[in-house]
Amino acid sequence: MPSTDEELVARSMGGDLDSFNQLVVRWERPIYALAYRVIGREEDARDVTQETFLRAFRALKGFKGQAKFSSWLYRITLNLCRDWIRREKRTPVAQAPEGVDIIELAGETTPTESVEALVARHELGRAVGKAMSMLPDEQRTAIILKEYHGLTFQEIADLLDCPLSTVKTRLYQGLTVLRKQLRDAGVEGGFDR
Amino acid sequence: MCDRKEQLIGFVYGELDPSETQAFEHHLVSCADCRGELEDLRVTRGQIAAWTPPEPDLDFQIVRGPVPVQPAARRFRIAPAWGLAAAAILVMAIGAAIANLEIRIGSEGLVVRTGWSAPAAVDTALVSAGGAQPIDWKQQSQQLDQRVRQLEQALAANRAGTVRNASASSMTDDEVLQRMRDMLGQSEMRQQRLLASRLTDVSRDFDLKRRTDLMAVDQALVRLQNTSGAEVRQWRDLAQRSVRAAGVMSTSLQK
Repeated sequence: MPSTDEELVARSMGGDLDSFNQLVVRWERPIYALAYRVIGREEDARDVTQETFLRAFRALKGFKGQAKFSSWLYRITLNLCRDWIRREKRTPVAQAPEGVDIIELAGETTPTESVEALVARHELGRAVGKAMSMLPDEQRTAIILKEYHGLTFQEIADLLDCPLSTVKTRLYQGLTVLRKQLRDAGVEGGFDR
Repeated sequence: MCDRKEQLIGFVYGELDPSETQAFEHHLVSCADCRGELEDLRVTRGQIAAWTPPEPDLDFQIVRGPVPVQPAARRFRIAPAWGLAAAAILVMAIGAAIANLEIRIGSEGLVVRTGWSAPAAVDTALVSAGGAQPIDWKQQSQQLDQRVRQLEQALAANRAGTVRNASASSMTDDEVLQRMRDMLGQSEMRQQRLLASRLTDVSRDFDLKRRTDLMAVDQALVRLQNTSGAEVRQWRDLAQRSVRAAGVMSTSLQK
Protein backbone atom coordinates (compact mmCIF):
# COMPACT_ATOMS: atom_id res chain seq x y z
CA MET A 1 0.00 0.00 0.00
CA PRO A 2 1.54 3.30 -1.07
CA SER A 3 2.32 5.85 1.56
CA THR A 4 0.10 8.91 1.90
CA ASP A 5 1.38 12.39 1.20
CA GLU A 6 1.41 13.12 4.91
CA GLU A 7 3.57 10.07 5.66
CA LEU A 8 6.01 10.93 2.89
CA VAL A 9 6.16 14.54 4.06
CA ALA A 10 6.89 13.42 7.62
CA ARG A 11 9.70 11.13 6.45
CA SER A 12 11.07 13.88 4.17
CA MET A 13 11.18 16.27 7.09
CA GLY A 14 13.24 13.66 8.88
CA GLY A 15 15.82 13.86 6.11
CA ASP A 16 14.62 11.00 3.89
CA LEU A 17 15.33 12.25 0.38
CA ASP A 18 13.74 9.22 -1.28
CA SER A 19 10.41 10.02 0.33
CA PHE A 20 10.49 13.53 -1.05
CA ASN A 21 11.35 12.20 -4.48
CA GLN A 22 8.30 9.94 -4.26
CA LEU A 23 6.24 13.08 -3.70
CA VAL A 24 7.91 14.63 -6.73
CA VAL A 25 7.00 11.65 -8.91
CA ARG A 26 3.45 11.71 -7.59
CA TRP A 27 2.85 15.43 -8.13
CA GLU A 28 5.11 16.57 -10.97
CA ARG A 29 2.54 16.02 -13.71
CA PRO A 30 -0.38 17.79 -11.99
CA ILE A 31 1.96 20.66 -11.11
CA TYR A 32 3.24 20.82 -14.67
CA ALA A 33 -0.35 20.76 -16.00
CA LEU A 34 -1.31 23.62 -13.70
CA ALA A 35 1.72 25.68 -14.70
CA TYR A 36 1.20 24.97 -18.38
CA ARG A 37 -2.47 25.95 -18.31
CA VAL A 38 -1.77 29.14 -16.37
CA ILE A 39 1.19 30.42 -18.38
CA GLY A 40 0.72 28.47 -21.60
CA ARG A 41 4.35 27.72 -22.48
CA GLU A 42 5.87 24.28 -22.27
CA GLU A 43 9.46 25.17 -21.41
CA ASP A 44 8.48 27.82 -18.90
CA ALA A 45 5.99 25.41 -17.35
CA ARG A 46 8.83 22.91 -16.93
CA ASP A 47 10.96 25.54 -15.24
CA VAL A 48 8.12 26.52 -12.93
CA THR A 49 7.53 22.87 -12.04
CA GLN A 50 11.18 22.32 -11.21
CA GLU A 51 11.35 25.50 -9.17
CA THR A 52 8.16 24.54 -7.33
CA PHE A 53 9.72 21.34 -6.02
CA LEU A 54 13.00 23.01 -5.20
CA ARG A 55 11.21 25.66 -3.16
CA ALA A 56 9.03 23.07 -1.50
CA PHE A 57 12.09 21.03 -0.55
CA ARG A 58 13.88 24.05 0.88
CA ALA A 59 10.80 25.21 2.78
CA LEU A 60 9.75 21.78 3.97
CA LYS A 61 10.67 22.55 7.58
CA GLY A 62 8.17 25.40 7.49
CA PHE A 63 5.31 23.22 6.25
CA LYS A 64 3.09 22.84 9.29
CA GLY A 65 0.48 20.64 7.68
CA GLN A 66 -2.52 22.97 8.14
CA ALA A 67 -3.24 22.53 4.43
CA LYS A 68 -2.85 19.49 2.26
CA PHE A 69 0.57 19.01 0.76
CA SER A 70 -0.93 19.30 -2.72
CA SER A 71 -2.57 22.62 -1.83
CA TRP A 72 0.77 23.86 -0.56
CA LEU A 73 2.40 22.85 -3.85
CA TYR A 74 -0.39 24.52 -5.81
CA ARG A 75 0.15 27.73 -3.88
CA ILE A 76 3.87 27.72 -4.61
CA THR A 77 3.17 27.02 -8.28
CA LEU A 78 0.59 29.79 -8.60
CA ASN A 79 2.94 32.27 -6.95
CA LEU A 80 5.69 31.32 -9.40
CA CYS A 81 3.26 31.61 -12.31
CA ARG A 82 2.18 35.03 -11.09
CA ASP A 83 5.82 36.09 -10.90
CA TRP A 84 6.38 34.77 -14.41
CA ILE A 85 3.40 36.67 -15.82
CA ARG A 86 4.49 39.86 -14.04
CA ARG A 87 8.07 39.44 -15.23
CA GLU A 88 7.14 38.69 -18.80
CA LYS A 89 4.45 41.39 -18.74
CA ARG A 90 2.35 39.48 -21.18
CA THR A 91 -0.82 37.53 -21.41
CA PRO A 92 -0.40 33.80 -21.17
CA VAL A 93 -0.41 32.18 -24.55
CA ALA A 94 -1.76 28.73 -25.14
CA GLN A 95 0.77 26.98 -27.33
CA ALA A 96 -0.45 24.41 -29.75
CA PRO A 97 1.36 22.51 -32.44
CA GLU A 98 0.93 24.03 -35.87
CA GLY A 99 0.11 20.75 -37.53
CA VAL A 100 -1.49 17.64 -36.13
CA ASP A 101 0.41 14.46 -36.80
CA ILE A 102 -2.22 11.84 -37.60
CA ILE A 103 0.16 8.97 -36.87
CA GLU A 104 1.05 10.36 -33.47
CA LEU A 105 -2.58 10.96 -32.71
CA ALA A 106 -3.45 7.44 -33.72
CA GLY A 107 -1.22 6.21 -30.91
CA GLU A 108 -3.27 8.17 -28.42
CA THR A 109 -6.64 6.84 -29.44
CA THR A 110 -8.71 4.87 -27.02
CA PRO A 111 -10.33 1.68 -28.21
CA THR A 112 -13.64 3.47 -28.61
CA GLU A 113 -12.31 6.65 -30.24
CA SER A 114 -11.65 6.98 -33.94
CA VAL A 115 -8.78 9.01 -35.38
CA GLU A 116 -11.30 11.53 -36.72
CA ALA A 117 -12.75 12.01 -33.25
CA LEU A 118 -9.27 12.39 -31.84
CA VAL A 119 -8.38 15.07 -34.38
CA ALA A 120 -11.61 16.88 -33.51
CA ARG A 121 -10.72 16.68 -29.82
CA HIS A 122 -7.29 18.21 -30.48
CA GLU A 123 -8.84 21.01 -32.50
CA LEU A 124 -11.31 21.66 -29.73
CA GLY A 125 -8.48 21.64 -27.20
CA ARG A 126 -6.62 24.29 -29.18
CA ALA A 127 -9.74 26.45 -29.33
CA VAL A 128 -10.34 26.07 -25.60
CA GLY A 129 -6.71 26.90 -24.82
CA LYS A 130 -6.93 30.03 -26.92
CA ALA A 131 -10.20 31.10 -25.32
CA MET A 132 -8.84 30.42 -21.83
CA SER A 133 -5.79 32.59 -22.51
CA MET A 134 -8.10 35.54 -23.09
CA LEU A 135 -9.83 35.23 -19.72
CA PRO A 136 -8.79 37.45 -16.81
CA ASP A 137 -6.18 35.73 -14.61
CA GLU A 138 -8.54 35.28 -11.65
CA GLN A 139 -11.28 33.63 -13.70
CA ARG A 140 -8.85 31.43 -15.60
CA THR A 141 -7.12 30.28 -12.41
CA ALA A 142 -10.43 29.48 -10.72
CA ILE A 143 -11.61 27.43 -13.70
CA ILE A 144 -8.30 25.56 -13.98
CA LEU A 145 -8.27 24.66 -10.28
CA LYS A 146 -11.89 23.54 -10.39
CA GLU A 147 -12.10 21.81 -13.77
CA TYR A 148 -8.67 20.17 -14.06
CA HIS A 149 -7.63 19.69 -10.45
CA GLY A 150 -10.97 19.07 -8.82
CA LEU A 151 -10.52 21.42 -5.88
CA THR A 152 -13.56 22.38 -3.86
CA PHE A 153 -14.85 25.95 -3.72
CA GLN A 154 -13.43 26.25 -0.23
CA GLU A 155 -10.00 24.95 -1.24
CA ILE A 156 -9.86 27.43 -4.11
CA ALA A 157 -10.92 30.26 -1.81
CA ASP A 158 -8.15 29.31 0.64
CA LEU A 159 -5.60 29.06 -2.14
CA LEU A 160 -6.49 32.36 -3.73
CA ASP A 161 -7.17 34.14 -0.44
CA CYS A 162 -10.65 35.26 -1.44
CA PRO A 163 -14.19 34.68 -0.17
CA LEU A 164 -16.18 31.61 -1.19
CA SER A 165 -18.75 33.70 -3.03
CA THR A 166 -15.98 35.32 -5.08
CA VAL A 167 -14.83 31.91 -6.24
CA LYS A 168 -18.35 31.03 -7.40
CA THR A 169 -18.71 34.35 -9.16
CA ARG A 170 -15.37 33.98 -10.94
CA LEU A 171 -16.30 30.47 -12.04
CA TYR A 172 -19.71 31.48 -13.32
CA GLN A 173 -18.44 34.56 -15.15
CA GLY A 174 -15.42 32.73 -16.56
CA LEU A 175 -17.49 29.85 -17.89
CA THR A 176 -20.02 32.24 -19.38
CA VAL A 177 -17.33 34.23 -21.24
CA LEU A 178 -15.67 31.02 -22.36
CA ARG A 179 -18.94 29.68 -23.76
CA LYS A 180 -19.44 32.89 -25.74
CA GLN A 181 -15.91 32.88 -27.12
CA LEU A 182 -16.13 29.25 -28.19
CA ARG A 183 -19.45 29.89 -29.84
CA ASP A 184 -17.99 32.92 -31.65
CA ALA A 185 -15.08 30.73 -32.78
CA GLY A 186 -17.54 28.34 -34.36
CA VAL A 187 -17.07 25.60 -31.80
CA GLU A 188 -20.26 23.75 -31.13
CA GLY A 189 -20.94 20.70 -29.10
CA GLY A 190 -18.33 18.81 -27.14
CA PHE A 191 -18.51 16.26 -24.40
CA ASP A 192 -21.34 16.31 -21.90
CA ARG A 193 -20.34 16.32 -18.25
CA MET B 1 -33.14 37.00 -15.59
CA CYS B 2 -32.75 34.75 -12.58
CA ASP B 3 -30.28 35.85 -9.91
CA ARG B 4 -29.57 32.42 -8.37
CA LYS B 5 -26.10 32.15 -9.95
CA GLU B 6 -24.32 30.89 -6.84
CA GLN B 7 -26.85 28.06 -6.43
CA LEU B 8 -26.57 27.34 -10.14
CA ILE B 9 -22.79 27.02 -10.07
CA GLY B 10 -22.95 24.99 -6.84
CA PHE B 11 -25.49 22.69 -8.48
CA VAL B 12 -23.30 22.30 -11.63
CA TYR B 13 -20.34 21.20 -9.51
CA GLY B 14 -22.37 19.19 -7.01
CA GLU B 15 -21.38 21.29 -4.04
CA LEU B 16 -24.81 22.06 -2.66
CA ASP B 17 -26.13 20.50 0.52
CA PRO B 18 -28.77 17.82 -0.09
CA SER B 19 -31.48 20.21 1.02
CA GLU B 20 -30.12 22.98 -1.21
CA THR B 21 -29.90 20.56 -4.11
CA GLN B 22 -33.52 19.53 -3.64
CA ALA B 23 -34.62 23.14 -3.42
CA PHE B 24 -32.73 24.10 -6.59
CA GLU B 25 -34.17 21.13 -8.49
CA HIS B 26 -37.63 22.42 -7.60
CA HIS B 27 -36.56 25.86 -8.84
CA LEU B 28 -35.33 24.44 -12.16
CA VAL B 29 -38.78 23.07 -12.88
CA SER B 30 -40.19 26.56 -12.93
CA CYS B 31 -37.17 28.63 -14.21
CA ALA B 32 -36.40 28.38 -17.93
CA ASP B 33 -33.41 30.75 -17.61
CA CYS B 34 -31.67 28.50 -15.13
CA ARG B 35 -32.47 25.40 -17.19
CA GLY B 36 -30.94 27.03 -20.26
CA GLU B 37 -27.85 28.20 -18.39
CA LEU B 38 -27.40 24.82 -16.78
CA GLU B 39 -27.38 23.19 -20.20
CA ASP B 40 -24.89 25.72 -21.59
CA LEU B 41 -22.58 25.30 -18.62
CA ARG B 42 -22.59 21.52 -18.99
CA VAL B 43 -21.68 21.81 -22.68
CA THR B 44 -18.93 24.31 -21.94
CA ARG B 45 -17.49 22.06 -19.25
CA GLY B 46 -17.48 19.23 -21.75
CA GLN B 47 -15.55 21.38 -24.20
CA ILE B 48 -13.06 22.48 -21.56
CA ALA B 49 -12.13 18.87 -20.92
CA ALA B 50 -10.60 18.65 -24.40
CA TRP B 51 -7.77 21.02 -23.44
CA THR B 52 -4.95 18.78 -22.35
CA PRO B 53 -1.35 19.80 -21.70
CA PRO B 54 1.45 18.22 -23.75
CA GLU B 55 3.17 15.17 -22.35
CA PRO B 56 6.24 16.56 -20.65
CA ASP B 57 9.54 14.79 -20.12
CA LEU B 58 9.90 15.58 -16.45
CA ASP B 59 11.48 13.00 -14.15
CA PHE B 60 12.73 15.59 -11.67
CA GLN B 61 14.70 14.43 -8.68
CA ILE B 62 16.11 16.23 -5.71
CA VAL B 63 19.71 15.17 -5.17
CA ARG B 64 22.17 16.15 -2.54
CA GLY B 65 25.12 18.14 -3.82
CA PRO B 66 28.58 18.17 -2.25
CA VAL B 67 28.69 20.02 1.05
CA PRO B 68 30.29 23.39 0.35
CA VAL B 69 33.37 24.28 2.35
CA GLN B 70 32.45 26.80 4.98
CA PRO B 71 34.59 29.93 4.64
CA ALA B 72 34.50 30.26 8.41
CA ALA B 73 36.52 27.06 8.74
CA ARG B 74 39.40 28.69 6.93
CA ARG B 75 38.94 32.00 8.62
CA PHE B 76 40.20 30.67 11.93
CA ARG B 77 43.07 28.62 10.60
CA ILE B 78 46.36 29.52 12.22
CA ALA B 79 48.58 31.44 9.82
CA PRO B 80 52.19 30.34 9.38
CA ALA B 81 54.88 32.07 11.45
CA TRP B 82 56.32 33.94 8.49
CA GLY B 83 52.90 35.30 7.70
CA LEU B 84 52.44 36.56 11.22
CA ALA B 85 55.95 38.06 11.17
CA ALA B 86 55.20 39.86 7.90
CA ALA B 87 51.94 41.11 9.34
CA ALA B 88 53.78 42.31 12.46
CA ILE B 89 56.30 44.21 10.33
CA LEU B 90 53.52 45.81 8.36
CA VAL B 91 51.65 46.81 11.49
CA MET B 92 54.83 48.23 13.04
CA ALA B 93 55.71 50.14 9.89
CA ILE B 94 52.25 51.66 9.73
CA GLY B 95 52.38 52.39 13.45
CA ALA B 96 55.79 54.03 13.07
CA ALA B 97 54.53 56.17 10.22
CA ILE B 98 51.50 57.24 12.22
CA ALA B 99 53.46 57.90 15.40
CA ASN B 100 56.27 59.72 13.55
CA LEU B 101 58.78 57.35 15.08
CA GLU B 102 62.31 58.63 15.34
CA ILE B 103 65.26 56.41 16.13
CA ARG B 104 68.58 58.15 16.72
CA ILE B 105 71.97 57.13 17.97
CA GLY B 106 73.78 59.83 19.87
CA SER B 107 75.99 60.29 22.83
CA GLU B 108 73.16 59.00 25.04
CA GLY B 109 72.95 55.79 23.03
CA LEU B 110 69.96 54.55 21.04
CA VAL B 111 67.07 56.97 21.32
CA VAL B 112 63.57 56.05 20.19
CA ARG B 113 61.08 58.90 20.14
CA THR B 114 57.48 59.13 18.98
CA GLY B 115 55.19 62.09 18.41
CA TRP B 116 54.95 65.02 16.09
CA SER B 117 56.19 67.89 18.25
CA ALA B 118 59.53 66.64 19.51
CA PRO B 119 61.71 66.55 16.35
CA ALA B 120 61.87 70.32 15.79
CA ALA B 121 63.85 70.87 18.99
CA VAL B 122 66.22 68.07 18.14
CA ASP B 123 66.94 69.52 14.70
CA THR B 124 67.50 72.99 16.15
CA ALA B 125 69.92 71.62 18.71
CA LEU B 126 71.85 69.79 16.06
CA VAL B 127 72.13 72.83 13.81
CA SER B 128 73.05 75.25 16.53
CA ALA B 129 75.49 72.89 18.18
CA GLY B 130 77.58 72.80 15.06
CA GLY B 131 80.35 71.22 17.03
CA ALA B 132 78.27 68.44 18.64
CA GLN B 133 80.20 65.36 19.50
CA PRO B 134 80.95 63.48 16.29
CA ILE B 135 79.52 59.98 16.04
CA ASP B 136 82.07 57.25 15.91
CA TRP B 137 80.67 55.45 12.83
CA LYS B 138 83.33 52.80 12.92
CA GLN B 139 82.43 51.87 16.45
CA GLN B 140 78.73 51.94 15.67
CA SER B 141 79.27 49.73 12.66
CA GLN B 142 81.24 47.23 14.73
CA GLN B 143 78.48 47.18 17.34
CA LEU B 144 75.86 46.56 14.67
CA ASP B 145 77.91 43.77 13.12
CA GLN B 146 78.27 42.19 16.52
CA ARG B 147 74.53 42.47 17.12
CA VAL B 148 73.72 40.91 13.77
CA ARG B 149 76.03 37.99 14.54
CA GLN B 150 74.33 37.52 17.90
CA LEU B 151 70.93 37.52 16.23
CA GLU B 152 72.07 35.00 13.65
CA GLN B 153 73.43 32.72 16.35
CA ALA B 154 70.20 33.02 18.30
CA LEU B 155 68.21 32.25 15.17
CA ALA B 156 70.30 29.17 14.44
CA ALA B 157 69.89 27.97 18.02
CA ASN B 158 66.18 28.61 17.82
CA ARG B 159 65.88 26.60 14.60
CA ALA B 160 67.74 23.69 16.12
CA GLY B 161 65.43 23.83 19.13
CA THR B 162 62.41 23.89 16.88
CA VAL B 163 63.51 20.77 15.06
CA ARG B 164 64.18 19.00 18.29
CA ASN B 165 60.82 19.98 19.68
CA ALA B 166 59.06 18.98 16.52
CA SER B 167 60.58 15.55 16.67
CA ALA B 168 59.67 15.05 20.29
CA SER B 169 56.40 13.21 20.36
CA SER B 170 55.89 13.53 24.07
CA MET B 171 54.86 17.22 24.01
CA THR B 172 51.32 18.02 25.00
CA ASP B 173 49.08 20.32 23.04
CA ASP B 174 49.54 23.09 25.60
CA GLU B 175 53.30 22.77 25.35
CA VAL B 176 53.14 22.89 21.56
CA LEU B 177 50.90 25.92 21.74
CA GLN B 178 53.20 27.60 24.23
CA ARG B 179 56.18 26.78 22.06
CA MET B 180 54.44 28.28 19.04
CA ARG B 181 53.66 31.40 21.02
CA ASP B 182 57.30 31.66 22.12
CA MET B 183 58.46 31.24 18.54
CA LEU B 184 56.05 33.86 17.34
CA GLY B 185 57.19 36.20 20.10
CA GLN B 186 60.83 35.63 19.23
CA SER B 187 60.08 36.11 15.56
CA GLU B 188 58.32 39.35 16.37
CA MET B 189 61.29 40.50 18.49
CA ARG B 190 63.69 39.67 15.66
CA GLN B 191 61.57 41.61 13.22
CA GLN B 192 61.44 44.53 15.62
CA ARG B 193 65.22 44.51 15.96
CA LEU B 194 65.63 44.31 12.24
CA LEU B 195 63.24 47.19 11.78
CA ALA B 196 65.11 49.22 14.40
CA SER B 197 68.38 48.46 12.61
CA ARG B 198 66.97 49.56 9.28
CA LEU B 199 65.55 52.70 10.76
CA THR B 200 68.89 53.41 12.43
CA ASP B 201 70.62 53.11 9.07
CA VAL B 202 68.16 55.54 7.56
CA SER B 203 68.64 57.95 10.43
CA ARG B 204 72.43 57.66 10.14
CA ASP B 205 72.37 58.39 6.44
CA PHE B 206 70.15 61.34 7.04
CA ASP B 207 72.46 62.73 9.75
CA LEU B 208 75.48 62.29 7.52
CA LYS B 209 73.83 64.16 4.71
CA ARG B 210 72.74 66.91 7.05
CA ARG B 211 76.20 67.29 8.52
CA THR B 212 77.69 67.49 5.03
CA ASP B 213 75.24 70.23 4.18
CA LEU B 214 76.04 72.09 7.39
CA MET B 215 79.73 71.94 6.61
CA ALA B 216 79.05 73.32 3.17
CA VAL B 217 77.02 76.12 4.72
CA ASP B 218 79.83 76.86 7.19
CA GLN B 219 82.36 77.08 4.39
CA ALA B 220 80.11 79.37 2.45
CA LEU B 221 79.71 81.62 5.49
CA VAL B 222 83.47 81.75 5.99
CA ARG B 223 83.94 82.67 2.37
CA LEU B 224 81.31 85.34 2.74
CA GLN B 225 82.94 86.69 5.89
CA ASN B 226 86.34 86.77 4.19
CA THR B 227 84.88 88.56 1.22
CA SER B 228 83.15 91.10 3.46
CA GLY B 229 86.37 91.74 5.41
CA ALA B 230 88.33 92.53 2.25
CA GLU B 231 85.67 94.96 1.11
CA VAL B 232 85.73 96.73 4.48
CA ARG B 233 89.46 97.05 4.28
CA GLN B 234 89.16 98.52 0.79
CA TRP B 235 86.58 101.05 1.98
CA ARG B 236 88.73 101.93 4.96
CA ASP B 237 91.79 102.45 2.80
CA LEU B 238 89.74 104.56 0.45
CA ALA B 239 88.47 106.67 3.33
CA GLN B 240 91.91 107.09 4.79
CA ARG B 241 93.24 108.17 1.39
CA SER B 242 90.39 110.63 1.07
CA VAL B 243 91.13 112.06 4.50
CA ARG B 244 94.77 112.38 3.66
CA ALA B 245 93.95 114.01 0.36
CA ALA B 246 91.61 116.41 2.08
CA GLY B 247 94.35 117.33 4.59
CA VAL B 248 96.80 117.99 1.75
CA MET B 249 94.32 120.22 -0.03
CA SER B 250 93.56 122.18 3.15
CA THR B 251 97.25 122.77 3.76
CA SER B 252 97.74 123.93 0.20
CA LEU B 253 94.92 126.41 0.48
CA GLN B 254 96.22 127.82 3.75
CA LYS B 255 99.52 128.35 2.10
